[in-house]
Amino acid sequence: MAINTEKLGIVLQNFVTATSDVQGAALVTPDGLPLAASLPGGMDEERVSAMSAAMLSLGERIGQELARGGVDRIYVEGDKGYGILTSCGEDAVLLVLADQKAKQGVLMLEIKRAVAEIKLILN
Amino acid sequence: MEIMRLVVTGPVGAGKSTFIRSVSEIAVVDTDRQATDETSLIKQKTTVAFDFGRLAFGPEMALHLYGTPGQSRFDFMWDILIQKAHAYILLVAAHRPREFVDARRIRAFMRQRSQVPMIIGLTHMDSPNAWDIENTAIALGYLNADKCPPIITVNPNEAASVAQAIITLVQHSMQNCLV
Repeated sequence: MAINTEKLGIVLQNFVTATSDVQGAALVTPDGLPLAASLPGGMDEERVSAMSAAMLSLGERIGQELARGGVDRIYVEGDKGYGILTSCGEDAVLLVLADQKAKQGVLMLEIKRAVAEIKLILN
Repeated sequence: MEIMRLVVTGPVGAGKSTFIRSVSEIAVVDTDRQATDETSLIKQKTTVAFDFGRLAFGPEMALHLYGTPGQSRFDFMWDILIQKAHAYILLVAAHRPREFVDARRIRAFMRQRSQVPMIIGLTHMDSPNAWDIENTAIALGYLNADKCPPIITVNPNEAASVAQAIITLVQHSMQNCLV
């Protein structure tokens, strides 16, 4: 069955608008191509996708080489906010951009839910 | 021990990852992912961050080899890798002239950011459709032979051929240092 990209887009958009302090999200393939995105203005979807893929693959490699096991998520904490990468099964990677004010526990829980929802659409 | 950082770049499927795998003394750090774009017509997997290999070069020097991704959407990786490079080799598949324009784009991107010495390595020269060195040079925009960087033939699958390419690159960069 074909992937319902429209539905993916809606899930991401809902996630971004409904979760407080989340500024954007993108779903990309592991080789860095956009599947769906809801990003803040001025961010290039293609570039964000490629960066997400590069970061996840490097992170997974680090996990493996330095015996940290399988990678659950990759976290970039800057003074203006967070960038969180989570693997969504074999075919997709979810990037979430959140504000500095975001409560991490809530954020992680919301991401977990979004991932479950996305996985349903992808399979 | 002195470390020399060499970058291996070029369009998709030129043989960058194979090049590094052929000569690295350590298990190559790769970041291959299943290809889903037009790359998948050429090969199944593609580099998304970089490849890293290491090679001792005489008793006093270690070469660190960094392979870039081929697709231009990863140009931020090209930028990161070229910033610290001492020299680089641009690999071009001589039997896919359609990709020469991509090679020129990579060359322009690198030239804007770095003035380090470079050479061009033509791969897939054993293919019946391969262009010869003179014509490829012209197609890559080197109309004047004096200004053209060294162009060599390399088979990324053969360790000896890759080693020869690396020696040429190191020699070329040493010459540039002396001038």
